[in-house]
Amino acid sequence: MRLLVVEDNDRMAALIADGLQRRGFVCDVALNLAQADDAMAGAQYDAIVLDLGLPDGDGIDWLAGRRKYHQMPPAIIQTARGALEDRITGLDAGADDYVVKPVEVDELAARIRALLRRPGVRTQPIIEVGALCFDTASRSASVANRKVDLSRREADLLELLMRRAGIVVHRDVIENALYSFNDPVTPNAVEAAISRLRRKLDEAALPDMLHTVRGVGYMLKDNPS
Amino acid sequence: MTQRRSVSRRLRRGLGIIGLIGTVLLLAAVAFFYSFTFTHLDPQAAMMRAIKEMMEHVALPLIVLLVPVTIMVLRVIRQAFVPLAEAAAEIEAARGHERGFRIDASQMPAEAVPFTEAVNDLLTRLDESAMRQEAFAADVAHELRTPLALLSLELDRLDHDDAVRLKTDVAAMRRLIDQLMLLAQIDADAAAQIAPEPTSLADVASDVVGAIAPGIIAEGKMISLDTDEPAPIVNVRREAVAAALRNLIENATRVTPTGGTIQVRVGPGAILAVRDEGPGLTPDRLRDLVQRHRRADHASKTGAGLGLAIVERIMAAHGGRLTTDPATRELALRFPEP
Repeated sequence: MRLLVVEDNDRMAALIADGLQRRGFVCDVALNLAQADDAMAGAQYDAIVLDLGLPDGDGIDWLAGRRKYHQMPPAIIQTARGALEDRITGLDAGADDYVVKPVEVDELAARIRALLRRPGVRTQPIIEVGALCFDTASRSASVANRKVDLSRREADLLELLMRRAGIVVHRDVIENALYSFNDPVTPNAVEAAISRLRRKLDEAALPDMLHTVRGVGYMLKDNPS
Repeated sequence: MTQRRSVSRRLRRGLGIIGLIGTVLLLAAVAFFYSFTFTHLDPQAAMMRAIKEMMEHVALPLIVLLVPVTIMVLRVIRQAFVPLAEAAAEIEAARGHERGFRIDASQMPAEAVPFTEAVNDLLTRLDESAMRQEAFAADVAHELRTPLALLSLELDRLDHDDAVRLKTDVAAMRRLIDQLMLLAQIDADAAAQIAPEPTSLADVASDVVGAIAPGIIAEGKMISLDTDEPAPIVNVRREAVAAALRNLIENATRVTPTGGTIQVRVGPGAILAVRDEGPGLTPDRLRDLVQRHRRADHASKTGAGLGLAIVERIMAAHGGRLTTDPATRELALRFPEP
């Protein structure tokens, strides 16, 4: 997994790259936008970690500008700006996620992994969350090479939750993803699907992975053992 | 002198003295002239005659003149002070959104205008001074982020038991800085008078609870959201309200034991409420906590007292209130009904 870290403070850039490398990513560093352009021309990256205030321009403008003409990998913006509006401005401008400085490498790595699980340019055929694997081609799930039997709808639900592992997926998002306009959605159809999926995960010796946030949605999470 | 000097009282006293001196002087003058006119009468009759004349021509005109003058003057004075009383009421009503407040000088009598303008100038200077302080606090918080980020990243490289503890401390500092930045942002928005927008409290609550839930679940606690239909729509600044709710939930999470549930409720009415499994907070204690410098527990490294002070500030900026109900262990954000 190759990343480009664009950050003007060279010590910070080196430390972030080092931290990410220790978590299994390959990292290149660009100290300004010109270097970032050069790096993008020379290599294919899976994700970009982008600082905003760079000596030769603004990260958001650069990203928005490049998005017009190039196929771009997902980008995470590092913002040191005010706590309120800037985050949203960044997401509107085409960033896929943001982290607020001072950033924790663990959090950054988790966000990058979540980003790479999303359907995108270089989709991986197998999604993994802990011991649970999902093959997007055969639409089947397995735990330690033992297949977990799932209905089509349960497989869709599991894929959705796995792609956003560690994040709460809202109920209406699940409803929209699982049921088309013509499908009659009974009020507790999602609950029923979730409880079936939870039972199957329990049977596959993966208990407590599927969490309910009552009134909001559901979250699939790897349990640190 | 304990009695405050009142203009009306001084005027009454002045008019009284003028009346008294005038009466005495006029009486003396009249008596002097009558003493020549009534020489043909015996002293007894002359005295009676003089008293009668004086009543008719001195006392009566004086009373006729002085009483209406006194009434008129007191009336004028009372009316002249009405704009002052109104300005006082306006100033009192501006409690909670003092920033940018000025006294309306257009209704003031000319004599009070210099004073009003001086006070307005003072308010301008206070606003500017507060803005400089806030900008400074925001700058400090901003500048602290880079060294803190470096420290945090260096700690990440250390493979030592102490590193975990140190990382917790750095995380607490980071949280505090976030809170300071948020506070600066609220003040800056208040100064810029950013317009609120119609916002569904249910949407805000759903977003905030969804975003914060992973951390709460990781701590072995649970969170739930109940929405009362129809979901209330209020005119607010969405991000500020989200920050307020986030702070309340973080506060609730801190006092809720492992295995416990934090319950967030939307409505009925324009209310966002957070119930925890802590000991509950009395209104007095809440008032103490929101006074920014009187912190609940000074050992708190997470900026808890600051958090509630920020919530209070956000609610005040929206014309709402932060309330507590110790019986139900619930803190509520109450917005003005649209």
